[in-house]
Amino acid sequence: MSLKPIAHDVARKRKRPLLSSKFVQAMLAGHSALGLAFAALIYIVCLTGTLSVFLPEFHRWEQPNAPLVTEPVSAKAITEAAWAAHGQALIDDASQDIFLSFPSAYNPRFVVNYFNSATRKDGEWVADGDGRLVMRVVAPFADFLGELHTQLHLPRTLGFFIVGLTGVALLSSLISGLLAHPRIFKDAFALRWGGSNRLQQADLHNRLGVWGLPFHFVVSLSGALLGLSTLIVGVLAMAAYNGDSDKAFAAIRGPQPIVTGQPGPIPEVGPMIADVLREKPDARLVSIHFQRIATSGQLVYVKMRTPGHLAFGNTYYFDGNGKRIGQGGLEDGGVGQQILGVLQPLHFGWFDGIAAKILYAVLGLALTIVTQSGVAIWLARRRDKGRPAERWERIWSGLVWGQPLALAITATAALFTGRALVLIYLAVTIADIVIAVSVSSASLVKKILQGLTAATLACVAGVHFYKWFAVASDPASYWIDAGLLVAAAIFLVLTFRTRRVTGPSYSLSRDAETAIAG
Amino acid sequence: MLTILSALIVMSIGLALLRASWLSRRKPHLPFLIGGWLFIVVSFFILGRELSGEFVVAYGLLALAVLAYAAVALTVEVRGKRASVGVSVALEPEVRRTDWKRATAKSMLAIVLAGIAAIGIGVAFAVAMPMEVQDRIVIGGVLVPALWGGGMAWTLADAKLLRATIILLSVSAVSYAVAFLPKILM
Repeated sequence: MSLKPIAHDVARKRKRPLLSSKFVQAMLAGHSALGLAFAALIYIVCLTGTLSVFLPEFHRWEQPNAPLVTEPVSAKAITEAAWAAHGQALIDDASQDIFLSFPSAYNPRFVVNYFNSATRKDGEWVADGDGRLVMRVVAPFADFLGELHTQLHLPRTLGFFIVGLTGVALLSSLISGLLAHPRIFKDAFALRWGGSNRLQQADLHNRLGVWGLPFHFVVSLSGALLGLSTLIVGVLAMAAYNGDSDKAFAAIRGPQPIVTGQPGPIPEVGPMIADVLREKPDARLVSIHFQRIATSGQLVYVKMRTPGHLAFGNTYYFDGNGKRIGQGGLEDGGVGQQILGVLQPLHFGWFDGIAAKILYAVLGLALTIVTQSGVAIWLARRRDKGRPAERWERIWSGLVWGQPLALAITATAALFTGRALVLIYLAVTIADIVIAVSVSSASLVKKILQGLTAATLACVAGVHFYKWFAVASDPASYWIDAGLLVAAAIFLVLTFRTRRVTGPSYSLSRDAETAIAG
Repeated sequence: MLTILSALIVMSIGLALLRASWLSRRKPHLPFLIGGWLFIVVSFFILGRELSGEFVVAYGLLALAVLAYAAVALTVEVRGKRASVGVSVALEPEVRRTDWKRATAKSMLAIVLAGIAAIGIGVAFAVAMPMEVQDRIVIGGVLVPALWGGGMAWTLADAKLLRATIILLSVSAVSYAVAFLPKILM
């Protein structure tokens, strides 16, 4: 018997692709539907997330006259700050918990927070190296940006849930996008620019998406978990903690203070720090959280960071007498504890200095472009098939290019007032959409909004510099102004750039063009 | 600094080899393919001389992505308008019959039922797994968005609504039984 037919059969089997075209087409259909349904939300969350990498820098930019602390804060200054914060919290009817955040090489600010969950009042101050509260934190744009990213300025629980759900949709899009991409390796470096718009957008979408996949997966998973944590813990509480969500959260967070109502002395933190340093000599103080301060049931969480870990630090728990009662294991504990430790630093890119932040900004921007190009592919496909959705093309263009403008105008307004920023942002967003539906073409919408964004960014940098140049002591202020000017220049170049792409897209004979352009 | 620069150069060589392998006209060029991945792995080890394990993974993957973007941008194929002629051979999304009832049912499946099932599995894991309490709660929590996302992708791709409904309802029933049964039996 000849072996030829068997060899032929084996060769044919080998040629069969791993993912059948029917499966890929089904995945593409799901990917497309999900992407379109959540596109606007994903885009806003990704864009604001990219900017949120620099939230601490925006805080410094908005208050560049706040004191910088470049030396380690002494135990005496910490005690001073705790007493000063407690006193101020009593005046503000916000005494309960006090949080001291210490300066580091990347953020040389000593920040003091206090809040009371019953009165719902809080306060935030910048302190000097001696622990004196120098000025209240005033950072309306940073606060606006942070809340837009985490809860879309909706009521807290609802906002967190919607952002969490957006994270799930993004995660789902990553999974379906991956499964709808049978030539993931073969095309990993192919970027065809010009000619067919659809092919160009598809190449951009796939290249940015594939190489950034580990980052995109981590930020969407961690973001979804952070957003959905209240819901998940709520169900867990019903199952195992008699419906008490606080109890369920406490199982993760560590010991909680006992509410006694009886006064107690504020404990000295120096011995607590020394206690940790005996065990971890190279640990650096990150923050101290006094829970139910100045009561007999108070607890103190001392967070200290050991070099080599991504977590902000490990939390060491002390009772009101200064006795250590445990630790969080966030740096070297169990798997769950370590995941808990890296969740926020990995989501925001806050685990190291400016290098990590720049890399996060590049990859965050890539994810934003992936979202934009996803819808652009769908629109181009419709145009190719002779069914252009012109109004949707203009609306999408208005939303995509209107968001940087809305944020830039909000930042400009925040230089003068902390009020009505949400209204200003919403008004500009609506105006962008109105411009989009009123103008004749999507490319004109884009040019108008890019030009306006360039002008506004230059304006915000100029106004900020003029307002602060005489009193600013924080170099971050000038770096951000310079960054805004660079962004303005990029938008200006985009405005006057001429496009080479054409409307309808048809592929050439090159085999690489069998890639998914859908 | 020199170590990190060396790691980046080795990583770039790895990417260049992978590019040469994958963009070859016929089959991927095997020596280039193996060499490319090998160089990338070696670059991670070089990073390890300067950074701790956690930072190597984080910075290594970030640097790999950004260097790959740079490689793609540097080798971009710029085309003129004349390129846009010919016949499209790209795969298209499956064309399906749809109406608002079907779209609503799909949305309910992908968003609501897949979410209920994913939360059920996560909470069941957090309640029932024989692990430290923090570990099982956090891992159970991480499972929720991952499973929800996977469930969403599957239900939106699967044209058979009934099959997805039955599977998701069954998974929900089993997972909530595991999660709540200890409380009910107590």
